Amino acid sequence: MQLQLKAETIERKKRNSWRKIVQQRYLLLMSLPFVVWLFIFHYLPLWGWTMAFQRYRPGRSFFEQDWVGFTNFVQLFSDERFYLVLRNTVAMSFMALIVGYTVPIIFALLLNEIRLITFKRTMQTISYLPHFVSWVIVAGIVTKMLSTEGGPINELLMALNIIDQPIQFMAKGEWFWWIVTLSDMWKETGWNSIIFLAAIAGIDPEQYEAATVDGAGRFRRMWHVTLPGIRPTIFIMLILSIGWLMSIGFEKQFLLGNPMVQDYAEVIDLYVLNYGINLGRYSYGTAIGIFNSLVSITLLLSSNYIFKRLTKESVI
Amino acid sequence: MRGYARLLAVILACVLIIAGCSSNNNGNNAGNAQPSGNAANAPGDTDGKGTGGETGERDLSPITFTMFSADLNPNYENMQSPVGQEITKRTGVTLNIEYPVGDIKQKISLMAASGDYPDLIFAKGDQNILVDAGAFIDLTDLIEEHGPNLKKLYGPYLKRLRYSKDDPSIYFVGSFGVDAQQWQPNNGFQLQHAAVKEAGYPSIKTLQDYEKVIKDYIEKNPTIDGQPAIGLSLIADDWRYLISVTNPAVFATGGPDDGEWYVDPQTHKAALHHTRPEEKEYFRWLNHMNDIGLLDKESFIQKYDQYQAKISSGRVVGLIDAKWQYEQAELALRQEGKLDRMYGMYPVTMNENVKYADFQSAGYSAGWGIGISSTAKDPVRAIQFLDWLASEEAQILNNWGIEGVHYTIHDGKRVISDEEMNKRTTDPEYGKKTGIGVYTYPFPQYGDGVLDSTGQTYTINSKEQIAKNYTDVEKEVLSKYGAQMWMDLYPAADEFPVKPWGAAWQINIPQETDAAVQMQRISDIIKKRIPEAILAKPDQFDAVWDSFMSDIQREGLDQLTEEFNGLLQERLELWND
Repeated sequence: MQLQLKAETIERKKRNSWRKIVQQRYLLLMSLPFVVWLFIFHYLPLWGWTMAFQRYRPGRSFFEQDWVGFTNFVQLFSDERFYLVLRNTVAMSFMALIVGYTVPIIFALLLNEIRLITFKRTMQTISYLPHFVSWVIVAGIVTKMLSTEGGPINELLMALNIIDQPIQFMAKGEWFWWIVTLSDMWKETGWNSIIFLAAIAGIDPEQYEAATVDGAGRFRRMWHVTLPGIRPTIFIMLILSIGWLMSIGFEKQFLLGNPMVQDYAEVIDLYVLNYGINLGRYSYGTAIGIFNSLVSITLLLSSNYIFKRLTKESVI
Repeated sequence: MRGYARLLAVILACVLIIAGCSSNNNGNNAGNAQPSGNAANAPGDTDGKGTGGETGERDLSPITFTMFSADLNPNYENMQSPVGQEITKRTGVTLNIEYPVGDIKQKISLMAASGDYPDLIFAKGDQNILVDAGAFIDLTDLIEEHGPNLKKLYGPYLKRLRYSKDDPSIYFVGSFGVDAQQWQPNNGFQLQHAAVKEAGYPSIKTLQDYEKVIKDYIEKNPTIDGQPAIGLSLIADDWRYLISVTNPAVFATGGPDDGEWYVDPQTHKAALHHTRPEEKEYFRWLNHMNDIGLLDKESFIQKYDQYQAKISSGRVVGLIDAKWQYEQAELALRQEGKLDRMYGMYPVTMNENVKYADFQSAGYSAGWGIGISSTAKDPVRAIQFLDWLASEEAQILNNWGIEGVHYTIHDGKRVISDEEMNKRTTDPEYGKKTGIGVYTYPFPQYGDGVLDSTGQTYTINSKEQIAKNYTDVEKEVLSKYGAQMWMDLYPAADEFPVKPWGAAWQINIPQETDAAVQMQRISDIIKKRIPEAILAKPDQFDAVWDSFMSDIQREGLDQLTEEFNGLLQERLELWND
């Protein structure tokens, strides 16, 4: 009896899901191209990972390549330089994460408090304009600003008698990470705050009114209404940016760097270029790529898991 | 995020390549298995029997060749200029040239990986990547059959075009002018004319002479045009440190330009030039210059544009650089009429006994050139086209222009009118408008000073023309030294033997070998450690230098040197058998 019932429910479930498919056939059909697109451009390329286990040479077919097992990975993990660039990459991305993440939120909160709409709009536009300036130009501006030859920062510090000799900002390795982080902050703060401003705009004004009636001042309202209101956005953005930790690109480091700060400026992507592709070591480059992807996925999944447990917010 | 996208792109490209390769298999394999076979021979045979290539009777039907050139030519005009159209008219060939955007090596690596080649490829220093991928066809037989002009052009140097001892195929026809004469120094120690004038035109032969001129001038003139004067500025932006920081160490110690190497002229043994004890003393001198405040503090930080801006402001008294690197900035000084602030070039060395070898001849440098790809449409037409470019007719067209338009013939001599000459030297768009000079380098060409069948030079350059272009200040300075030209200050070419190995910087260390990785690592160390040594306190210089030496030793210097010597030996045997 029970068995029969179970079989019937299964049967019904099957029929149900089939009916659902028939019902939503147009929607499914419409999403099909994107699934195909995703498959071709994001899953098929994974086939290229086989290169990491070969001594890949261009112009030969897949079957003519020499298979070398984990040699490339062994080489990678026994290279001191790799740990150096890994350190630089992780350090700079963490700094970028902390600064590039908290500052836009604070900026959005402050901007939101401004009552004068025209002023607020102008501020917003001005603050996100640098996002559209290429790193080449930003690097030029930064080096000029920090120059010892009439650079405004040095001139200012000299005029205020804080220093008596111009400081060679760009020649100090330990400062390089800060210079990169701060120029990144200058460039991206406005842009990154847009999404938070949008989230703030979505908060129900009645909540503010209620808070005001309850006697909450400005900071109380910010703390108890605005921040909780954009909490989901904050966490989703955080989880996503943790996933990108390993992939910070190399434009800023490459353009701002110079021989004196080399040990602090080289990042993974540049290492891939110099020691992988440029030396024709495609396999080696692919091995680093795999390592990168695995670390990114691990970071993403674990941060997602932690946040799910702690705050019930997650992307997956 | 973008970094990730790029990585994906590379992986994707690689996958596509693998897919592409498997489908292309047959064609590629044939090319690989027999480098000198198939593609090169098959069309050659049919042509030999059919149209009779030896009489010069050529197929003029329209054909378009795609080409990749690693050297950006801003004057390229899609063959729409008078000269470009004339070339199409006379050969039927239209060239569609693609130039690199961004990193050349990356572009070429991807090209090799994808197996998607244009018909003609000029890959400059990275052609070994393409050769390894089997991208070029062997031109030996094609040149033999269809290349009378190429044979005449390269003459005894034809064997220098061979790729290697193991693979003596000719994959490309050399780009540099054959038998070119050098009339201008490429490298040197530069001093503003004003400083030399104020010092009373002293003899400038050693580092100490050079230093004294700068020092005295700065002491008397702490500011130039209201801004603080800079004694000596170097440029170390990215790869430029090679030109302005490390190469001059070889030159000041009497070595010719062999890139990162110094080849002993007697034993023909190469060593990484930075490891020579003489050069340590050169860097010690730079350290001293920094110590006494004459070296620009920003030398190792500044970007190239800052460097150029500084030079064109006229407040840098001395440079140590290659002419082509500061030429642009110097031109700005000239246009502003600050003729005193332009630079003279002096062959400064460690001491009086060392001869500055800027004019030492490397013989013909065959390392770079245009090759025909394994996927080219019609290799015979391609080689005929390259051959035609090497002919007297084409050389005159490309260098002088069209008769009656860009030059006229008086008493059997080609003459360029003053008006036309003026346009040539002052109009930056001249090449683009006329097409003159667009199809010389990197195509096969005769060098400066070589005479054609009528006894005139193929190129329009001449000693007189260079001297004519000097400013009055330059002429005055030169006259004080009893010289006509800057080259007169330098030890002449005939004081040196011709280097039997050519230029060592053209010897490529094969990709993907340990040596290539070692070279990269060692270069990274050099780039960082030499500035460190120069900027160290003088009493710490030796310590920094020693740790620099032990660092590169640890990265496998000995193995690298051995590897390179093997390559050098091969080149010596290949070129001189």
